[in-house]
Amino acid sequence: MAYRRGSVLLAVPVLVLSLFLVGCPKRPATTAASAPPPTGSPSPAAPSTSPSGPAMTPSPAAPSTAPSSTTPPPPSEFSENANLKDVFFDFDKYDIRPGDAKILDTNAAWLKSNDNLVLIEGHCDERGTNEYNLALGERRAKSTMNYLVAQGVQASRITIISYGKERPTCTEHSEECWAKNRRAHFLVKAR
Amino acid sequence: MLRPGRPLAFLVALVLLAVIGGALSSPPAARSQAADVLLNVLATGAKKLNIVIPNFTVLSGADPAGLSKSLPQVTARDLTFSALFSVVSDVPPIPAGDPAGLRTAFANFAAAGAHAGLLGLLSLRGDRVEVEMRLHDLTSPEFRLISTKKLDLPAAQARRLAHKVADEIVLQFTGEAGIADTKIAYVGVVGGNKELHVMDYDGAGPTRVTSNNSINLSPVWSPDTRSLAFTSYMRGYPYLYRMFPFENRPVQVLAGFLGINTSPAFSPDGQSVALTLSRDGNPEVYVLNLATGAFRRLTTYSGIDTEPSWSPTGREIAFVSERAGGAQIFVMDAEGANVRRVTQSGFNTQPRWSPKGDTIAYTSRQGNFDLWAISPDGSNLRRLTVGPGNNEGSSWAPNGRHIVFQSSRSGRYQLFTMLADGSEQQPLPRGQGESTSASWSPRLP
Repeated sequence: MAYRRGSVLLAVPVLVLSLFLVGCPKRPATTAASAPPPTGSPSPAAPSTSPSGPAMTPSPAAPSTAPSSTTPPPPSEFSENANLKDVFFDFDKYDIRPGDAKILDTNAAWLKSNDNLVLIEGHCDERGTNEYNLALGERRAKSTMNYLVAQGVQASRITIISYGKERPTCTEHSEECWAKNRRAHFLVKAR
Repeated sequence: MLRPGRPLAFLVALVLLAVIGGALSSPPAARSQAADVLLNVLATGAKKLNIVIPNFTVLSGADPAGLSKSLPQVTARDLTFSALFSVVSDVPPIPAGDPAGLRTAFANFAAAGAHAGLLGLLSLRGDRVEVEMRLHDLTSPEFRLISTKKLDLPAAQARRLAHKVADEIVLQFTGEAGIADTKIAYVGVVGGNKELHVMDYDGAGPTRVTSNNSINLSPVWSPDTRSLAFTSYMRGYPYLYRMFPFENRPVQVLAGFLGINTSPAFSPDGQSVALTLSRDGNPEVYVLNLATGAFRRLTTYSGIDTEPSWSPTGREIAFVSERAGGAQIFVMDAEGANVRRVTQSGFNTQPRWSPKGDTIAYTSRQGNFDLWAISPDGSNLRRLTVGPGNNEGSSWAPNGRHIVFQSSRSGRYQLFTMLADGSEQQPLPRGQGESTSASWSPRLP
């Protein structure tokens, strides 16, 4: 609900946002960031790294007219789907547990036979600091994405978002509750 | 002249008096050296400077709001908070234009043990308020005038005058201005959403400065105190923004890449923002040049690198990395080279480099979360908080003597302050909901 207002704004290409950025002529959003590494298919377990060096800096001459199709739809346009089950993570971990790999296999099979866009949310429990949990949730969503891609789901269909510890499903201060919150959750949107 | 039933609890060693006397009689050029000595004396123990802050004397204009009483009380609280002064206030004002009366008043203060006294002269002119402060050394026979200063602000900001008076008094006795005229930004829960708020450093005047009904996180002040960088989900994804809480200016997007755009930290010169982006596949630390919009990547590790914090020189950056296993604090040069590990054990996040440069405060998990401090070279490890609950999210006052942080000790998160050694922990006034992610501003211009 909190994002209804934002969803309208996001219909505007991100490049418009950059007009507010004083002295910055570049388009701040790139879709390359969400894509897997340029070479080959990522392995599920290994976090991907991109090459370092000057290429990391967007060229000032980069065109500010990216195709709008590369801007991800706002999260509010995605909806729940009962066929896609959550996977869960150990405390401070973001690797896919063997039991959860089976869940992801099932999710991948469904996604391959249903041509939706998918949003993977990465979540953490309440312990820990905001900023680190945002990074941890990102890694959980990314690990999940990498696994699905390795199973043959097109990376271009997948967007990830980290909520850190900001969106718990369970609000009690117990291990049982924390375990439920350390999750990757799936939402879909028709193409 | 002193209020009956409120004796001065002044306990000061003669050596301190001697030091103060030396500091006050030194020429201005030499003052800072003497002031350093004084500050060292004051900071190491319970010895405090005794000062009397009488109610202000109204020179002109009407005072329906009672500023002549409320402003000196604010100044008195500021000086008490500094932990450098023992303050007596709520004393009747000294009559204007009455040198004999002034001398009698100061003589009474001095006899009671006061080292310094303030004469505050208040002029009210409609929408402007002026305070002329006259700070006197009551240890000298003629009650020598140490400092006089005229301060003028719009009536709506009258409270800042009291803070500025306090900061000037601290400057005179320590060689560095106080930190009363500062703000604290923080995240407050409003209707289930997290919105940014700004208040005076002492908790007065809390004001919501975002209203986007989403999740707003990690506000940090720019060095000019005009803007806050923060992460927000206002457009759905966690982008990094900059807003101007005191100006009618639109919010700027600083970074809107896919993935996370988090953990902003302004460089000390205000020209760059260090931040965390995951656009290249995993969370890495970058520096955004605000003039050119260019992003420069500093870290290269396949796991998490995040939470940059600049050294006050701008030449180094502390950050969190899991490259050694669990989260630990590291330091690197501002160009990303020469990475050194600072913390060795535990699970450590939220490094916050002291404005004085010699300390990094951080949050360590050992069961619960508590605040610790360490020198940038990894020495001098010490614990600042010992529960109860979680204590995290520290932010330094600009003088490096105070820290604001969040604690769940009362059942829900609220903001507390303490001295840099962990002493004097006290809550800030609590709001409606939880308050977290405090950022202490630099001194206001």
